[in-house]
Amino acid sequence: MNRARALLNYTLTRLALAPIMLWLISSLVFLLLRVAPGDPVDAILGNRADSSARAALREKLGLNVPLVNQYLNYLNGLIHGDLGDSLNNQEPVIQLIAKTLPASLELAFVALIIASIIGIAVGLTGIAKPEGKTDLAGRLFGIGTYALPPFWAAMIFQLFFCVILGWLPVGGRFPPTLMQPQGSGFLIIDSIRTGDLIALQGSIKHLLLPASTLGILLSGVFSRSIRINLEKTLGTNYVEAAKSRGINEYQIIFSHALPNALLPVLTIAGLTIASLIGGALLIEVTFSWPGIALGLQEAISQRDYPMVQGIVVVISSLVVMISLIVDLLIAFIDPRIKY
Amino acid sequence: MNINPKIFYQKRINLRLLFILFLIIFTQTSCKQPQKNKSIILASKGKIDSLDPAQANKLLAIQLISSLGDPLYSIDSQGNLEPRLAKGEPIISKDGLTISIPLKENVRFHDGTIFDSYAMAFSLKRFIKIGTLNYIIDGRIRTIETPSKFLIRLKLNRPSSSIKGLLTSINITPVSPSYYSQHETKFLNDNFIGTGPYKLSSYSPEKQVLVPFEDYWDGKANNYGITYISFNTSTSLFSAIKTGQVDVLLSNSIEDGQRLALHRLSKQGLLIESQGPATQIGYIAFRTNSNLLQNKLTREALKFSIDRELISKQVSYGLREPLRSLTPPLLGLKVNPPWPAYNPKLSSSLLKEAGFCNNKKLTIPLTFRSNVPADKLLALTWKEQINRDLSNCLNISLNGVESTTVYKQLGEGAYEAVILGWTGDYPDPYAFLSPLLDCKKIKEDFCEEGEAVIGGTFWANNKLQKALQNSEELLGQERLKELHKVEVLAANGAAILPIWLEKPRAWAQPNLSTPQFDGSGRLLLNKIYKKDE
Repeated sequence: MNRARALLNYTLTRLALAPIMLWLISSLVFLLLRVAPGDPVDAILGNRADSSARAALREKLGLNVPLVNQYLNYLNGLIHGDLGDSLNNQEPVIQLIAKTLPASLELAFVALIIASIIGIAVGLTGIAKPEGKTDLAGRLFGIGTYALPPFWAAMIFQLFFCVILGWLPVGGRFPPTLMQPQGSGFLIIDSIRTGDLIALQGSIKHLLLPASTLGILLSGVFSRSIRINLEKTLGTNYVEAAKSRGINEYQIIFSHALPNALLPVLTIAGLTIASLIGGALLIEVTFSWPGIALGLQEAISQRDYPMVQGIVVVISSLVVMISLIVDLLIAFIDPRIKY
Repeated sequence: MNINPKIFYQKRINLRLLFILFLIIFTQTSCKQPQKNKSIILASKGKIDSLDPAQANKLLAIQLISSLGDPLYSIDSQGNLEPRLAKGEPIISKDGLTISIPLKENVRFHDGTIFDSYAMAFSLKRFIKIGTLNYIIDGRIRTIETPSKFLIRLKLNRPSSSIKGLLTSINITPVSPSYYSQHETKFLNDNFIGTGPYKLSSYSPEKQVLVPFEDYWDGKANNYGITYISFNTSTSLFSAIKTGQVDVLLSNSIEDGQRLALHRLSKQGLLIESQGPATQIGYIAFRTNSNLLQNKLTREALKFSIDRELISKQVSYGLREPLRSLTPPLLGLKVNPPWPAYNPKLSSSLLKEAGFCNNKKLTIPLTFRSNVPADKLLALTWKEQINRDLSNCLNISLNGVESTTVYKQLGEGAYEAVILGWTGDYPDPYAFLSPLLDCKKIKEDFCEEGEAVIGGTFWANNKLQKALQNSEELLGQERLKELHKVEVLAANGAAILPIWLEKPRAWAQPNLSTPQFDGSGRLLLNKIYKKDE
């Protein structure tokens, strides 16, 4: 079987497995939510209202229907692309997700760029003089940022840049006194598209701190990965051969060694962006960033079943999609990989 | 292999140039100052998912709706009923079964339509039909009639003095029937068309913009509008007001340490602090049908064992008032507190009488809501205070559980002792006493069905039940005496232990006027203004 055909088979198999995986995940979430103590009625009414009022609200929210029927209705909706209505405010879950997802994607994307820039710069600087002071500092930086608890780092950054220096806003996504540009939900793109420089500046100012915090925390993984892979690549025969042919060091690193060393980094980047979509929770909470992770946390605390299920399904789909894209990309770049 | 660093750094020059270019562009755009926005930025904790008064069940949404709409009545700072959209006091028939409310005639909704009895009836019926908290009506209203354009009449199923308080509820704020015609049986979350001093200009769960309503019947707002923004953490809120990024901070959710810091900043003149009337109480509920606390002597002992002053000082730096009743003071019951003061000697002797002390310690498992920081601190402080004063007789073991789980398991009798909070749905003693003590089915001293079960005490008393019902048929001082009797009986039963009162607080920048609260603890946004404008 030739390589292109093998790749096609692999892609089709992965795509065919994706719905099964999503069904398993969504069923598990459905079940776990029902097993957890407390339901939306308890979250809404707290310790008030008697049993008849609670029963009436339970009926209104459709929670009196047998669990099997709830599950079948949920699956039926899922197949038809309907994630149901939020129990909290009766609005379609898909609309609520559409409002919050761009914020998380924007944050994840910018954080990833920052992480890549810092990670690659630190990794390269370290490899320039292995075991030197810069290398040691880079390695400490890598371990340090990996080990820092995100909420603590976020609060320290907030305290320093917002409270002490007063350079950046404490939280939120856009200046409260300005009108938010409408469109895709990606505020930087929308500000550029509408030519609104003030809005662009406001968006960047609000994005800078959460994205930098997240980027710096992630950069350790990148710098360590770059350093280790580059060190390994620089010791290979083809690099030695290139050196012996008199190719300059800059060209050896950037044209020959780095592209090969970047392959594992690409995998890490794929996994990171997938986890960032649903996993930047502590950063979103600390900086009041109105993203999907924050929405998920609120939905869990309010036991908003359809909302939690909807967000998990969307995040899972994105994770499946991104990991597939990364796998295909690596296969496309690296001819040594076989399927 | 070592690489020549020079090669690296030569290539960085281009990057530096790019970075400098970016900085120039960025700072140049910074020079273009945004048009000065004159609205007041108000920050608080938590998002507002719905602006529908029928849906509103969170304090923040209620606060905002109170600026976009008007209730029929409000409670003034002295605790008296003050007509808002009503023209005068409600007229109650001799049998107490009919309430007639004359309405103001010069009021318009934000969409230009006229507020009349039909609009009021529409809003009331809508709340009864779809309201999330419609249980507060409690089957009291039989019919709603509109005998004339500006008179509404409520026919009741039973006499109810507390219904006056219900008429102040934000949940029955009238909405424009023409605008809500498509939302008679479903919520309208992202807009609000009421009669209030502000119109909603834009809405998202994290940010709402309010602009003054030019045709407001009670005079224009003192400011150019309000921009409400939400933050998720107490630290962000604290930082935002401290750095001047927001003009006003309104929050009960801000942590006690930061509350103290803001209080100190206010004392130094760096902020303006104001507080409203207490609307929230903190208490401990004891499960009276458990083997551990079934004995009334044991519960009596616990009643004397808590040093509220110490707890208030340690947990809230004295900002939460110690409380020895179940109703906030503004609500009329100005008599001696029914619950006794701290008395460790008496507590110890009662515990001895109950068969504890010396070699037999009573261990109380105390549950607190793990997502409420003040509850945890209260639990820890009480535990330490008991260790200090009653270590021979009493011990407390702590257990933190997330609040939604606590609410679910309360009625199932899962907790021997649990720390809870309560805010009345409307400012009336009945809205505090009935939800905590009412019981529909009593067997001996235990409640088998009713609020006492949902509240986790399972305690009931026939005399208390009778007094609670009587209070609904009485008015004025007679009613207040009957409600006081309810509290005294509840204190004797020792199934609930009130701990403290929480007052809503707001902090404003020094260039603003002092924020004012109404008698229901809601901030009067239309009264705030910038001194330099």
